[in-house]
Amino acid sequence: MKQELKIPKEYSIKKTSKETLEKWYWLMSIGRAIDEKAPNYLKQAIGWSYHAPYAGHDGIQLAVGQVFEKNKDHMFLYYRDMLTALSCGITPYEIILNGISKATDPSSGGRHMSNHFAKPEFNIHSVSSLTGNHTLHAVGVARAIKFYGDKAVAISNQGESSVSEGFVYEAFNGADKEQLPVIFVIQDNGYGISVPKKDQTAQRKVANNFSGFKNLRIIHCNGKDVFDSMNAMTEAKKYAIEESKPVIVQANCVRIHSHSNSDDHLLYRSEAERNYVEDYDPLAKFRRMLLRYERFTEEELTKIEEDVKKELKKIHKEALSAPDPTPESISDYVLPEPYVSSKYPEGLHEGQGDKKKLITALNETLKTEFRENPDTFIWGQDMANKDKGGIFNVSKGMQKEFGPGRVFNAPIAEDFIVGTANGMSRYNEKIRIVIEGAEFADYFWPAMEQYIEASHDYWRSNGKFSPNMTIRLASGGYIGGGLYHSQTIEGSLVSIPGVRIVYPSFADDAAGLLRTAIRSKGVTMFMEPKALYQSPKAATIVPDDFEVPFGKGRIRREGSDMTIITYGNATHLSLDAAEMLEKDGFSVEVLDLRSLIPLDTELIYKSVNKTNKVLIAHEDKLFGGFGGEISAIISEKLFEFLDGPVRRVGSAFTPVGFNPILERAILPDKERIYKIAKELLLY
Amino acid sequence: MNKTAIIYSFNTQKSKKISEKVIDAFGGSKVDSINAEEVDKKVIEKYDQFIFSVPTWFDGELPNYWDEFIPDLEEIDLKGKKFALFGLGDQKNYPENFCDAIGIMAEIIEGLGGELVGQTSAEGYKFESSRALRGDSFVGLPLDQENQARLTNERVKRWVDQLKKEF
Repeated sequence: MKQELKIPKEYSIKKTSKETLEKWYWLMSIGRAIDEKAPNYLKQAIGWSYHAPYAGHDGIQLAVGQVFEKNKDHMFLYYRDMLTALSCGITPYEIILNGISKATDPSSGGRHMSNHFAKPEFNIHSVSSLTGNHTLHAVGVARAIKFYGDKAVAISNQGESSVSEGFVYEAFNGADKEQLPVIFVIQDNGYGISVPKKDQTAQRKVANNFSGFKNLRIIHCNGKDVFDSMNAMTEAKKYAIEESKPVIVQANCVRIHSHSNSDDHLLYRSEAERNYVEDYDPLAKFRRMLLRYERFTEEELTKIEEDVKKELKKIHKEALSAPDPTPESISDYVLPEPYVSSKYPEGLHEGQGDKKKLITALNETLKTEFRENPDTFIWGQDMANKDKGGIFNVSKGMQKEFGPGRVFNAPIAEDFIVGTANGMSRYNEKIRIVIEGAEFADYFWPAMEQYIEASHDYWRSNGKFSPNMTIRLASGGYIGGGLYHSQTIEGSLVSIPGVRIVYPSFADDAAGLLRTAIRSKGVTMFMEPKALYQSPKAATIVPDDFEVPFGKGRIRREGSDMTIITYGNATHLSLDAAEMLEKDGFSVEVLDLRSLIPLDTELIYKSVNKTNKVLIAHEDKLFGGFGGEISAIISEKLFEFLDGPVRRVGSAFTPVGFNPILERAILPDKERIYKIAKELLLY
Repeated sequence: MNKTAIIYSFNTQKSKKISEKVIDAFGGSKVDSINAEEVDKKVIEKYDQFIFSVPTWFDGELPNYWDEFIPDLEEIDLKGKKFALFGLGDQKNYPENFCDAIGIMAEIIEGLGGELVGQTSAEGYKFESSRALRGDSFVGLPLDQENQARLTNERVKRWVDQLKKEF
């Protein structure tokens, strides 16, 4: 194990100024007063139904907040971080607004759970409840700090149980590899709710599990002691910035109370243990020290305590009369406003010239956008190694042109890829990130927890933060790829609000949608039908500046007898089927949705109104696929315009088999679309 | 007043019991007992020889009563004074920091010029690491009432015999 370096003792009971000590005592006292009062709000049915008391973490929480410089450093608090929040500059009044979920709560306007403190205006970021989730965000924003050359640090707070999470390992590994100025503060109170440390990991000093990381420094401190914590955090910050390297500070704390108000520690902690931890109440210790070393008199401390009581009474009253969020506000901030195309408002063009393949269109659009915006970044697996640029070479040549600071390989850790994009995006609003979310859509599943986070962020922060990123995924089958190189996963994603999902099927639309995605705020899931990358069928003329707005479908073939609503690979199958049907004397319209979220319901209404018959064709499973939602919308809104049942074609409710015989039997083809369409036309 | 003071927390149970064993082994009235919860600079300045009871708390920390005294202790010149340290620890449940507090206190005392006496062999203990360990010896006497209570009396006796020579 690496030797722990000595920590300079900058702070001590004798050296620290009286003014500073007074500020600390005030913060610690008002923090504790609110911590103890919070359960009363629940008892009186006012709110604060989630409260994780921090008592016992006082030293480290005060210290973390004291080293934080707002609007310069970046802070990620966890649900037990009330004193850290206060120490960072969130006011006691704002803490109560958060606790009782008021519209003016700076964290979320009452949208997020209580005890989830944030103030994006100060770089105190909105966070998940998922333990350790924001370690990846801290790494991401630290990447930006390093790229832009700031002398600042990202600080992530978490309990010791969080190190059991795989993504926390990914965060530590990434910060170590990239040598990023980030501090992971592990507030160790020995329990994950009721689960003792020994059931989480073999090593009590959990930070030492990571002692093999080359660039990572580990500092242990007494999180119950203000001075030891201040010295540890001061050194950690200095080291992280000066060396541009990550630090873990493991602060030994005690949890004086239960995990939260839904937990009862009497069920699993002995009286002796509870007394033992109470004996080391950090606030009581700090008070004793102030008196013992004659820094304050009993009267002076009592005066501060009285002031705290008065202040708490006052802000309690004010907070109760603060406005509540309104029911009408629920649809605000689901998605930020997208980039608006003035030249191509419908996403249509009459360009001339040579046709380009879909892969070329994507590659050239990426390059054009990266040339125009120096705050663009792209990473993923297989992103950049000599002539290799992306698993299918979509990003070929980009690292050469834009350098390894903006175009780089990521470790094979999908959650890390997505989570650090979210994190980097927190640095400022100008940044736009494109990621290859996984080698194939099939491998995106490990990233789902970060996908969910990204989907929540804009709504959860009450419109204060949106991760501005485009997640590209090579999707779908028809390449003989089997179970793990054929998945198309949009059916599983469309029920998650907060992310746009686009699925082009031609080169021009791919270019136009990608440009819009990169220029827009918010998260866009950009699904690329990989079977079409090189396909001549998907090749089109692509104007250099083409833009396709979100939520604009495109009629790829006009007709009057029936509409096939489709997207992705199935667009081409549908066009082929329409061609076959024309030979039978039927005029079939093919509507390529291009965007699933937002959905162009207007174009659907218009087309169905004209043809009165609808077939929905997609590559994803028929059962539970997005076609079911479209069908339901049509049945609800356009029933009187229909001359037949809404029919659907999709894949079988099985994985995709590897043997081509199996693949053909499972995935939809033009013959199946033709057959169902014909039945409907003859209905 | 004796030459030697034994300082331990009067508010504890296990540490207090062990301290009393140490006192008995010294012959009762040969050492002065002082409550660690109330120790101050004057006490340290007054005596030449000390026995500290320094149990390890949590994952390798000093108990708060010692920790709170350290800022005062750090201002005293300990040259010419002798210190013997003992303390409780738990080899089985806290093997990574067995009796670390003895080691922490030893480092502080040495840093202030004090002389440590009462080193003991690490033989017979089973743990992973300890700040109290220097080579094959501990800088004081670790005791483990949780797992090796039956060895305590003998360990105390042997240690006090040793101290009588080293003081």
